[in-house]
Amino acid sequence: MADAVIGQVTDRATARPRRFGLRSAMRRKSMTAFLMTSPLILLIALLVVYPALYSVNLATLNRSMEHFVGFGNFLFLFNRETFWMVVRQSCIFALTAVLFKAIFGFVVAHFVHNIPAKGQRKWRGMLLVPWVIPPAMSCLAWLWLFDPSYSAFNWVFEKFGIGPIPWTGDAMWARFSVILVNVWIGAPFFMIMYLAALKSVPEQLYEAAAVDGANFLQRTWYVTLPMMRNIIAITALFSLIVTFANFDIVRILTAGGPIDLTHVFATWAFRVGIEVGDIPLGASVSLFMVPILTVAAIFILRDINRRGNEA
Amino acid sequence: MRGKLTRRRFLATTAASTALIAMPYVRGSHAAGRLSIGFWDHWVPSANNTSKALVEEWVAKEKVEVLVDYIPTQGQKLLLTIAAEAQAKSGHDILALSTWLPSDHANQLEPVDDIVEPLIKQNGALNATVEYLGKSQGRWIAVPATIGSQIKGPCSRIDLMKQHAGIDVQAMYPAGAPPKAENWTLEAFLKAAEACQKAGFPFGIGLGTTPDSVDTAGAIFHSFGAMLVDAKGNVTVKSDPVRQALEYYTKLAKFFPPDAPAWDDASNNKWLISGRGALIMNPPSAWAVAKRDAPQVAEQCWTHGMASGPKGRFAPCVPYFWGIWSFGKNKDAAKSLLVHLSQPAAIEKLVAASGGYDLPPFANLTTLKTWAEEGPPKGTLYHYPNPYNHQVLSIAGAPAPPKIAVQIYIQGVMTKMTVRHLQGEPMEKTLAWAENEVEGFLRT
Amino acid sequence: MTAITAAATAGASARRSKRRSMSRERRWALRWSYFFLTLFAMFFLLPPVYMLITSLKTSAEISAATNPWWVYNPTLANYVELLSSSQFLTYFRNSAVVSTVVVAVTMLISVPAAFALSRMRFWGSATLATGVFLTYLIPETLLFIPLFKMFAVFGDATGIQLINRWWVLLLVYPTLTVPFCTWVMIGYFASIPRELDEAALIDGANYRQVLTRVFIPVALPGLIAATIFAFTVSWAQFLYPLAFTTSTDQLVLPVGIITSLIKGDVFNWGQIMTGALLGAAPPLLIYAFLMDYYIAGLTAGATKG
Repeated sequence: MADAVIGQVTDRATARPRRFGLRSAMRRKSMTAFLMTSPLILLIALLVVYPALYSVNLATLNRSMEHFVGFGNFLFLFNRETFWMVVRQSCIFALTAVLFKAIFGFVVAHFVHNIPAKGQRKWRGMLLVPWVIPPAMSCLAWLWLFDPSYSAFNWVFEKFGIGPIPWTGDAMWARFSVILVNVWIGAPFFMIMYLAALKSVPEQLYEAAAVDGANFLQRTWYVTLPMMRNIIAITALFSLIVTFANFDIVRILTAGGPIDLTHVFATWAFRVGIEVGDIPLGASVSLFMVPILTVAAIFILRDINRRGNEA
Repeated sequence: MRGKLTRRRFLATTAASTALIAMPYVRGSHAAGRLSIGFWDHWVPSANNTSKALVEEWVAKEKVEVLVDYIPTQGQKLLLTIAAEAQAKSGHDILALSTWLPSDHANQLEPVDDIVEPLIKQNGALNATVEYLGKSQGRWIAVPATIGSQIKGPCSRIDLMKQHAGIDVQAMYPAGAPPKAENWTLEAFLKAAEACQKAGFPFGIGLGTTPDSVDTAGAIFHSFGAMLVDAKGNVTVKSDPVRQALEYYTKLAKFFPPDAPAWDDASNNKWLISGRGALIMNPPSAWAVAKRDAPQVAEQCWTHGMASGPKGRFAPCVPYFWGIWSFGKNKDAAKSLLVHLSQPAAIEKLVAASGGYDLPPFANLTTLKTWAEEGPPKGTLYHYPNPYNHQVLSIAGAPAPPKIAVQIYIQGVMTKMTVRHLQGEPMEKTLAWAENEVEGFLRT
Repeated sequence: MTAITAAATAGASARRSKRRSMSRERRWALRWSYFFLTLFAMFFLLPPVYMLITSLKTSAEISAATNPWWVYNPTLANYVELLSSSQFLTYFRNSAVVSTVVVAVTMLISVPAAFALSRMRFWGSATLATGVFLTYLIPETLLFIPLFKMFAVFGDATGIQLINRWWVLLLVYPTLTVPFCTWVMIGYFASIPRELDEAALIDGANYRQVLTRVFIPVALPGLIAATIFAFTVSWAQFLYPLAFTTSTDQLVLPVGIITSLIKGDVFNWGQIMTGALLGAAPPLLIYAFLMDYYIAGLTAGATKG
């Protein structure tokens, strides 16, 4: 297919006069590059960077937004027990959820990859459903499934004599439920990314490993994982960032309760900033996420680049 | 044209500020322009039509173009809208403001003494909580509204209370007559809660951080005279009334459903409608839905007054207001519209349309026909609007300065204290935690 | 598969018995695969199925707390009510228009940018590439207040009303879709051998032609994946439309459903589940159609190596 395309391009090109000259080519290139990326730069500068800077400014004001207090809001937060609880909860939540999503995605991708090609389509379709449904809608369904009075799960468990489980009522169960829903929504995304990567691992490598007497687990460890490293890292990083900043799931399922034991940064910031009316403090809580995520991002990206250079 | 209006407004506001007996607001007859109003989106389907019709009535008289929006509290949409409009200094001219919102945005709301004072004369006095929430530095900054205002008193199952707790709520609070509730004390409440829980029909009171749960805790605390922060802004967490209130409420909470700490505002509704509970603290929305979905439960419901404690009988109330942004472009028209919506005839229509849910904040309007006639069972809402004034309407967090009280309210400090103590934390540790939290609220 | 063929062509009897054990091994692997896949599929499909079941129930049946997994008196009343309400159709139309336009805008911005960032080394390209990704670190809950203020100021200055109009979403949604789509495309473009575009450049094609004639056809699976992602994210947005649109005729579907079906403390679960399903239907349908192209792209990409 590529040859045909190149053939087309060449035919057209020979009909036009060629412009050579290193300098004009360079100028043309950076001009074109600039034009091509300018919408992106404009979009981000105007609608992300500028509002973000404005938020940073907001975080340095006092509650009534009349005086400048510098780091006052942050210092205040550092002294609050609840704040550190939220930090801990967010980190555990994000790491656990991403880990399980990755494991689930990896395992399911393998199974899908294993079955004959023509059957894969409908399985893939069924398994991607959670990710395609808008989270706001599916969280409502889960909320209904976890309802204290009408839970469909508890109705079934009752038949087996297992007492009603307080899915959102007890702190540990609430944490479990939030992670469960997060994994349910996010695992298909991992599956699809890993599946694409699995398909691009050349068969010859597996054959070679099989000839060398490797069993399934060894094949996975020595062939599959190294080949998929980049995709695993990128997907994990992206998911970590998105999960860390997650708002909808916790908000709809538990609203941070009971007694603030399922709050994450975004929901706590919303509670403190909008609901209580202290917008600068809410901005400070939100902004605290940024350094944590940047550190994680830098580590993983550096890892990818290094491996890219090795390869 | 502009000049005329400005002069007249100047006169009107000077008059209002120089005399407590303000001149009733008179609108210039040449006003025109546009107005936008954001009402609270009512859960009763037909209620929105009534408010719209009232606005249209006014539009026909005044010839002002009005855009009417209905803003739900779901997803905190109302809160988001208000926060964003306050920041951007642009948006609706009039907005529905619940409980703490007027004081939150006091410096951007147009003073409305010139409307409210005449309304008080016309419609009767406003209760202390409405004044506490609607006034800032001695001036009214929002007009008390009927739409959305509610009392979250007990709504009990007549049959279950009689059978298991031995209490006849209909005899205590007979329809059409004053209440006979001297024995309806917090001790009796506690006994009834225990009896009903043992019988398998616990009281459905939540211990979460949503308003339904916080309001009940607030009423109980007030019944002991307990306050976390006093009116001057001093932290009074480690005081005896607070200890008594916490001890009582923890004892009571033992008889609540086990997942009460995670309840939201809809949980107690579902508890009642599914037939699992003997009592909830809620306005009539639960009963109204039960009428539709579970009529056998609905015809056993009775809304009545709260139990009394050592320092009085307190019921939680949730007043709503209408506020006019000071950066609005057509404040005269806005004021005129609000006066129109606060006329007794208009109020009666609104109450009827909401099935008795909306409560007029004015004292002379607590005995409208609607409450006497709503049923089945007939008279179930008679005592909902507190017609004999035998309980004090309060809001959790009062009498602390509103900017501190709102944080106590939204963060649910009282319910969190109860849950922590209930789950085994020693009282002094809980009080220390609460004191630390509240001290954090004192920052400006 | 190739392993089995290789083993078959080898031909010795020892190899034959080895082939037999390999097919048995393969069959067991298949059985386990199907077994686990069924389990996973049940887990993933449980909530939507439950949504469907609930949507067929009347309010009375839901409140009565009978078997939640079975409908005793199925009714289509919820569907009829929603589909015949003009409000719902307005929400649907708004969502459809916004999502489609946002997808187009996203592709128009991302594809050239990804091409420039992955192929044309220019000053700052590495920083920009990382920077694009880092925009995800700024959460929506933080941005919506300054954005609201910006839009209000813009509206006052130019007279073009942005607040409470559905077209404001066309401005904010791309901030969520463009960064990831750009990244996906950079990844796919990076895997296209340089020889292809170098050959085209030597033959005198300019960059635009290289992009449209060479890259886009070859990177089609990546493009489709990015399109699916952009559409799904746009359709599912909740916080931004909740914050920026208020009047009922400006709302998009997720916000419209939740705000019109849940009022105060009254939840109407039958209708809510119906609305949620109808709200989830378009992405599901579109995705079902596009999936064929996506799969074709994936498998073609795989054999390409």
